[in-house]
Amino acid sequence: MSSMSASPPVQLPSKPRDTFKIVVSTVFVVLFGWSAISVDIKWSRLLEAPADMYRLFKAMYSDIPWDELSRLIGLMWDSIAMAWIGTLIAAVFAIPLSFLAAENLVGRPIAWVTRQVFNVLRAVPEVILALLFVPMFGLSPMAGVLAIGVGSIGSLGKLFYEIIENIDSGPIEATDAVGASRLQRLRWGVIPQVAPELTSFLLYRFEINIRASSVLGVVGAGGIGGVLADTVRFKEYGVAGLALIVVIVGTIVVDTISGAIRHRIVAGRTIDIGEAQKYVVDTGGLS
Amino acid sequence: MSESPLRLPPKPKPSPWAIALSIGMVVFTVVCARTVGFSFSGLIEDLGRSNPVAQGLLEISWGEMFSERSRRAFLETLQMAVLGTTAGAAVSLPIALWSTEVGNPYRIPRILLRSFNNVVRAIPDLLWAGLFVLGVGIGALPGLLALFFFSMAVIVKLTADTLDGIDMGPIEAAKASGASHTQMLRTAVVPQILPAYSSYVLYDFELNLRASAVLGLVGAGGIGQRLDFFRNRGDWGKLWGLVLMFFLVVVVVEWLSVRIRRRLV
Repeated sequence: MSSMSASPPVQLPSKPRDTFKIVVSTVFVVLFGWSAISVDIKWSRLLEAPADMYRLFKAMYSDIPWDELSRLIGLMWDSIAMAWIGTLIAAVFAIPLSFLAAENLVGRPIAWVTRQVFNVLRAVPEVILALLFVPMFGLSPMAGVLAIGVGSIGSLGKLFYEIIENIDSGPIEATDAVGASRLQRLRWGVIPQVAPELTSFLLYRFEINIRASSVLGVVGAGGIGGVLADTVRFKEYGVAGLALIVVIVGTIVVDTISGAIRHRIVAGRTIDIGEAQKYVVDTGGLS
Repeated sequence: MSESPLRLPPKPKPSPWAIALSIGMVVFTVVCARTVGFSFSGLIEDLGRSNPVAQGLLEISWGEMFSERSRRAFLETLQMAVLGTTAGAAVSLPIALWSTEVGNPYRIPRILLRSFNNVVRAIPDLLWAGLFVLGVGIGALPGLLALFFFSMAVIVKLTADTLDGIDMGPIEAAKASGASHTQMLRTAVVPQILPAYSSYVLYDFELNLRASAVLGLVGAGGIGQRLDFFRNRGDWGKLWGLVLMFFLVVVVVEWLSVRIRRRLV
């Protein structure tokens, strides 16, 4: 008893020193300080910014040109259509490629090469792609569609192969055990497992792409972004204000619908236990 | 084992929901394709024609990658990304806390904050830049402000989603030992999300670096202004040089960022 009460006072272990964290934070502080000092901004202008923005909003919303509304909604619809077709084009390339990038389906060298392709495609922003595509395909939505399509292959492919690498290996072993060919293995062992999540990510990418496609018009690639470029040129603040509202409302509406569909796809149908039980009893001959 | 023949259960019929969704998707796709005027033949025809952009690829101006003006524009892009990310990240943590149930017990302010963030998130980076250029004039300042709002939207959304799924145990423990709300957040909530939050900040930095390269197209500073300049002159060789340089910068930064993020999480 006495030996317990005489135990030494609680000694906390000394805090571990994490060199990695220290190095990263030092580099960050230096980078931040250098940026703040040497960037070409008069910081006093920052204080005037709220007043400037207030004046801009007054110019935008004091006299809203409602007769432009139907034209702007039409342009926003163009942007949505561009985003959807672009996303589908990206999926057509990304899905087969992502099978080639998953280490549990193909060898490591093939997976590595495919991943580098994804990285290259991911690095360039859509707007720059659109800038390069406009002289090729003209000032049309097609340039925007292709910019979004090419720009999304990389990120969709990356998301897809991560999903594929996380699948259950059981069904793959089962298909191998019954002598399935490589294609049959893919069809029955892999695709049923990944289809819901792939669809969900496709819709998620569509939501991101709407944001991209609504600005591509700045470089002449179609959609509502062209209004922005014109506004800067002709100082039509009223139209810009209305276009901004159309973009926000359109994006939120599509987000909401697509989000609801995504949720339903991933959560799946709720199964009635009683109904499922019936099938278990039905297969009595099996057991 | 017995003689009874194997009886498979009937294939479940697809739910009316799935049928409706499939039909809806097909119709939506067809309508969209018509809207954008999609055609394979037109696509192939366009690709077959000789065009200045592809020709520019043959005469890439390597000198433009390191010229004095381009280097300064690249540095400005980097500076805008660093400052915009830092400012955005600084306000994001409290806003994310206030917009979730753990950090903010009041329902109405929470909903208001989430709706506000949804609106901010619906505006693309380039549109923010355009707005601020109209408001405060051209230069790096509108670019910085645009990246600030864009970062805020991204980081708040990701962090709030993480906050919704944290372990409630430490929170109960903090409350049981009589911690105030702030103390509870400090000791039970923030340590749980800090690795994820730092990782989101780095991810956002990658996004911002990519975004800040195009902000210049609407006059908001950085390398985009040079891109716009060469585009208007039709100098595709120099433009390709800049695009390649930009590509290298992004790849290097992303490589570093992925390394750091892996150590953090």
